[in-house]
Amino acid sequence: MSVTSEAPATYRNAAGPRGPLALLTEAIGEVRSRRRLVAYLVRAEMKKRGADTLLGNFWWVLDPLLQMIVYVIIVTILARDRYPDYPLFIFSAILPWKWFSAVIGDATSSVVSQERLIKQMAFPKIVLPISAASAGVVGFAFGLIPLALVMQLFPDRITPFVLLVPVIAVVQYVFSLAFAILVAAANVFFRDLGNVTRHALRLWFYLSPGLYGLDLLRGLEIFEENPALITLVRLNPFVILFESYRAVIYGAPDAPGVGLAPDWFALGALLAVSVAFLAVSTMVFKRLEPTFAKVL
Amino acid sequence: MATKPPALARSAGHAIRVDDLGVRFNLRFTRKTTLRQQLANLVNRRSSEHFWALRHVSLQLLHGESLAVIGPNGAGKSTLLQVLAGIIQPSEGVVDVRGHVSGLLTLGAGFDRELSGRDNILLGGAFLGLEDRVTRELLPSIIEFADLGQFIDAPLRTYSSGMRARLGFAIATSVDPDILLLDEVLATGDATFREKSKARVIELVRSAKAVVLVTHDMTWVSEYCNRALLIESGRAVMEGPPDEVVALHRQHTEEARARKAAAAVAAGIDPRIASRKRR
Repeated sequence: MSVTSEAPATYRNAAGPRGPLALLTEAIGEVRSRRRLVAYLVRAEMKKRGADTLLGNFWWVLDPLLQMIVYVIIVTILARDRYPDYPLFIFSAILPWKWFSAVIGDATSSVVSQERLIKQMAFPKIVLPISAASAGVVGFAFGLIPLALVMQLFPDRITPFVLLVPVIAVVQYVFSLAFAILVAAANVFFRDLGNVTRHALRLWFYLSPGLYGLDLLRGLEIFEENPALITLVRLNPFVILFESYRAVIYGAPDAPGVGLAPDWFALGALLAVSVAFLAVSTMVFKRLEPTFAKVL
Repeated sequence: MATKPPALARSAGHAIRVDDLGVRFNLRFTRKTTLRQQLANLVNRRSSEHFWALRHVSLQLLHGESLAVIGPNGAGKSTLLQVLAGIIQPSEGVVDVRGHVSGLLTLGAGFDRELSGRDNILLGGAFLGLEDRVTRELLPSIIEFADLGQFIDAPLRTYSSGMRARLGFAIATSVDPDILLLDEVLATGDATFREKSKARVIELVRSAKAVVLVTHDMTWVSEYCNRALLIESGRAVMEGPPDEVVALHRQHTEEARARKAAAAVAAGIDPRIASRKRR
């Protein structure tokens, strides 16, 4: 029987760096040939989180529900009766945000935590952030269970539009993947990046219309005086994502049961930008990759 | 792709050719750097420090040869293996490796501590770039060679270091590599497994595979390797027949010990204590 490892038999030398496009095509080839590795890594991650056990899944269901209850209590105290059916209103934002922040958190340490393997074996390191981002999809899928539960509490808000959630999730996946690859590479050089991203993420969430609607921002004095600022706010990807999720899950605040389509133009634009972002962060990752084994 | 024409006479059938290899580490980044430190560095900017882990190293290895790399700790032996494995890119010089490379450089690490031995083999195969079908075919022979009994389905964290080394060695040598890189493997495991792994390495050398191994076991070097390379402080001191290289290494070690002792005496320290402190 002849078994050979995938040909790393290339002629290696100290020749100058390759061009960005060569790096990109190389990365695509690596991921294609290591799909199985990504799958294994995702499964290993699931096993570790206990997501393949009943009790592990239980936490995936319970966690967003508890988070929702906390926010409902806080906001009920701070601002009374801002939006009808408020639990569902924020749940449509909590779920995707929990997914995004988990992905960024896992991706940040994804390369650094495999220090030992990176030093003893040559393999495409890009599979590490990709599997971190992909493991998040599984978590998000489990999160749809509590979403279904909460929706049962507000049956008149259920519309066929809710079936569009996966479409929006695809856009979010591409965006978070691009982000994940970038932070994974950066964390090799700046080990305390996790501290920075944790706080940056928290700020990002509160600045995005998750707990409130975009109309609340418009009502603020600063935005009334400078309408241009709203355009700036709209450049935040999570304005587009939250508004889209909310449109299909919650609908319009005053008209339950009518259902809203997401802003297709904004979603499409975000997808295009995310794909470009993904290309750039992949190039950056590939450019830095050869130094990982030395720096770690 | 080649920047230098391969002009050497023996280059026809080589498995590995290393020409004037240099590996430079940037000390500024090799410490675990944080954003905070980097900001501090920006404020009081020092000239960036470099360190050559290897420099002006050349060697050739034909198929069927086994090369022992010897030298004191920190000489750059493991760095050389990392370059040959493609883990580290050379900073200068040319490295030409022809064939499929396998080798766990620090065996006994395993792939994922939370997964079972069986899952680790599958994961390891995926990391090494094997097709899943191939790994599954190899699975029984790897399990048999590693000889872990019922532990094969227990998480890796429950393994002893010897068991982990056995698993790692079994995976690395089962993928039928053209070039096998081994770092200090022959020192792991119990006597029975050491015999078994020696037999496996000899078998690989016989079947026209090239082997590069880093070891401190000089008996092994003179008995089983065709060639030896002595590295000291990142420079290739001598390459040639194992006996001669080992003799030079012994001589240099003695000289270094004598120098240490003399320095200790000069500093007024009991030489026996000083020699014990040696790394």
